[in-house]
Amino acid sequence: MPTNTQTPIAPTAKKKNMGRRGFLASAIGGLSIAFALPDAARIFGIQAATNQQLSNAYIVVGTDGTITLLFGGSEMGQGIKTGLAQILAEELMIDWNQVTVKQSLVDPVVTYITGGSSAVSGRYNNLRLAGAAAREALIAAAMLQTGDKTRANYAAASGAVTYTNPSTQAKTKFLYKTLATAANSAAAQALGPAVLPLTDPANFRIIGKSIARVDIPSKVDGSAKFGIDIWFKDMVFAAIKHCPTIGGTLASTPKKPSGAMAVVPCKASDNRGAVVAGSFNAVAVVAGDTWSAKNMANSLAVSWKLPASTANVDTTALFAEAHTLLASSGQALTAEPKPAAGVTALQQTAIAEPGVLASLGTPTVDATYSVPYLAHATMEVLNCSVRLTYDASNTTVTMCEIWTPTQAANWVSATAIGLINAAQSAPITASNVIVNTTFLGGGLGRKIEQDYVSQAVQVALAVKKPVKLTWMREEDMAHDNYRPMAVVNVKAKLTGSSISAFYARNVSSSILGQRGWIPPGAVDSQAVEGMVGLPYALGNHIAEWVPQNAGIPVGFWRSVGSSINTFAVECTIDELAQKANMDPFDFRYQLISDPRTKAVLDAARNMSTWRNSLPAGHAWGLAIAEWNGTIVVEVAEVSGSATSLRVHRVACAVDCGTVINPNQVEAQMQGGIVHGLNATLYGEVTFTAGKAKQRNFSNYRMIRLGEMPEISVQVVQSGVKPSGTGEPAVPPIAPAIANALSRLTKTRIRTLPLFPGATMGD
Amino acid sequence: MGAGPLPLAQEILNLPLTLNINGQTYSNINVPDSGMPLLWVLRDILGLTGTKYGCGIEICAACTVLIDGQPEKTCEFDVGSAVGKQILTIEGLSPAGTQSHPVQQAWIAGQVPQCGYCQPGMIMACVGAIKAGHRGSEIAGELENLCICGTYQRVRNAVSTL
Repeated sequence: MPTNTQTPIAPTAKKKNMGRRGFLASAIGGLSIAFALPDAARIFGIQAATNQQLSNAYIVVGTDGTITLLFGGSEMGQGIKTGLAQILAEELMIDWNQVTVKQSLVDPVVTYITGGSSAVSGRYNNLRLAGAAAREALIAAAMLQTGDKTRANYAAASGAVTYTNPSTQAKTKFLYKTLATAANSAAAQALGPAVLPLTDPANFRIIGKSIARVDIPSKVDGSAKFGIDIWFKDMVFAAIKHCPTIGGTLASTPKKPSGAMAVVPCKASDNRGAVVAGSFNAVAVVAGDTWSAKNMANSLAVSWKLPASTANVDTTALFAEAHTLLASSGQALTAEPKPAAGVTALQQTAIAEPGVLASLGTPTVDATYSVPYLAHATMEVLNCSVRLTYDASNTTVTMCEIWTPTQAANWVSATAIGLINAAQSAPITASNVIVNTTFLGGGLGRKIEQDYVSQAVQVALAVKKPVKLTWMREEDMAHDNYRPMAVVNVKAKLTGSSISAFYARNVSSSILGQRGWIPPGAVDSQAVEGMVGLPYALGNHIAEWVPQNAGIPVGFWRSVGSSINTFAVECTIDELAQKANMDPFDFRYQLISDPRTKAVLDAARNMSTWRNSLPAGHAWGLAIAEWNGTIVVEVAEVSGSATSLRVHRVACAVDCGTVINPNQVEAQMQGGIVHGLNATLYGEVTFTAGKAKQRNFSNYRMIRLGEMPEISVQVVQSGVKPSGTGEPAVPPIAPAIANALSRLTKTRIRTLPLFPGATMGD
Repeated sequence: MGAGPLPLAQEILNLPLTLNINGQTYSNINVPDSGMPLLWVLRDILGLTGTKYGCGIEICAACTVLIDGQPEKTCEFDVGSAVGKQILTIEGLSPAGTQSHPVQQAWIAGQVPQCGYCQPGMIMACVGAIKAGHRGSEIAGELENLCICGTYQRVRNAVSTL
């Protein structure tokens, strides 16, 4: 809740930390505002919502008339650059054509990690406050000129403050550029309102409009610079060669091939970029071009030391182990119902499980689902360019510039500082590192990791030349942080048309645990999402997770655990509807009380009336997912069989709260459905003796245009606070297709992908 | 065909190379081998980075350019074979600083790209199909470019206007 203080403070963040943040402002003069939550709380005494990450906006109102909005996230196709600017421009009371949007350099206030579908929605409140604070500072500057301090006599629009003289009604217009310098003054600060007035959503001019994306022109003429496109005339090129076996390390430094500039052993790093002591897991070959480097890396004879556990890293064996864990007692951690204070997740299983099992009796449905490891396979492979500047003696790094497609630019900075300072006695600091976040040719959760950044810095330190390090597709796919494989058992008891007991147990590797971000014995929130907080009345229910230590790196893959659990849960709900002899919509509807979920279900039902007149051999299926506040319902039409399937149509209804840009919500729904479709049909990475079998698209198939269903999207306007759209469309498509196929073939689908071993050619 | 095997590209080509790209002559191109794929000559030697690397095995088609008007995947296309031909890349599709080609205009109108990485290849393949006299759904039936973001529906809608 907003609270007032008696000492309003104007935006002065630039005083605290001019650095690079202040650079642009000092170059063009005027008002600059950087907002983090603490700043937003200070500015004019506003106390914003406390459950948000740092905000990320940086507004510069230049004396030259420019208005620049800097953003600290990563543009990976989700339209963040446009969406964030829309929110700011709305409250700043400027027209869309007055805005220039720029990527911020790494800054402790402005930069944030782009993930969790939160890039735009998670910053909505703070950005509105930021825009409003800047606007009020400009109005205060106008007050200083007129001497009239009555706020009601001022209005801001189109980048100007208009003052109406109360006695004469004469109007005076002040362009923002003429107010920008004074807006930063202490005198203006003293005039700031105690509570920032925000625009009534009914009067939104820019928020909620399908504004054309600012990055698209550069993406159709080839001028958009992705990380892999960074190029200098004096640059050298490196290709990486990892030990093909997970966990293997370099036995000795390989001989430099003739024609190579260097061969650089690379240390492994953890997920935050810290070097793993004594572990060289890759070697980089440096040459005059990437192709030559790649060829020499491919033919380089390398002697690797393999860990004793290599033979166990085998997906057939791991699935067998997962089934054993699924059936064994004593290791399951309970996520829901939440344990009481002082009760561990392990103890909670012993407390809560017996009652659920008793309620289940002989379950109506008892089924086990399995899903494989998945690669991210972003179109742009991992890459990073580094240019180091040395002191006069050419021994000490004084500046490090990095260009890379990253979802975590601030971690990139830390990764570089750690490596450079380990190599020299005179330490560098964050101010000596410039991280340029380029466009990302897809992120999907992979580009939050630091392995490729660390390697590029290591190579740059070794060769002392500007270097671009690229992972060829084979390295990118065989050395991923994969979506975990999982087996999930669901048991449910139907009583009439109600569910009286529901049990779900997931066995999978822990993404957070592998990073040391949760202690042993704690439930990994990523593993259980999609099986907790379900919208249905489930009677006596429990959701459990058994961690599996599989020795394969796992990571955040678009929609993470929900991509696993929603498949198991929504197939089970559908099977229960069949057992109850009820329509899948009707069955779900009567188990749901949340009005938003019901409204989305209604919308999906209304937009898929085609399901009532399908041709022979076609069938439809339905699934629901809720993902961090966003509700998505998908209805899929399929034909064919389990050996030959065609997805014809998908109707998708979504409630993501207040919509910033409807066109981009539609794009994210389409994209999420395709991402889920790839996994449903084809996605699978298998391991034998620690080696990934899939190393390129030839046996890691993706859909092409010819396989694209017709997707219709309808946004349900609930008006609640915005929630994300990047991930929520992914989870429902697998169960929607599986449920349709089950109706067609009278056989339930329990395993993904539908077409294991699928290949593709040119 | 005359008697005997054709000479290898290396034997008949003089290095450094001269290429015609986007109507401009690029001479004195030093490549390590005339078997170097055109993709990497464009990207690493000439700095024309609009043409993308995606798979290196002619599946994803992110590296598509037009060679004498024909769409070609360049990740396995020997640079030697491009000598003496007209190479058109995404950078040369419209006069500098514009996105005025009808395909580019359709892409903007349809707000097609998401991450955008596959789009230069997608657009060049589409331009090639139009040059071959194909239109609308005919083009959509030919495009084999991979897009992981899932822009296919907007691509389909955009080409239907061409």
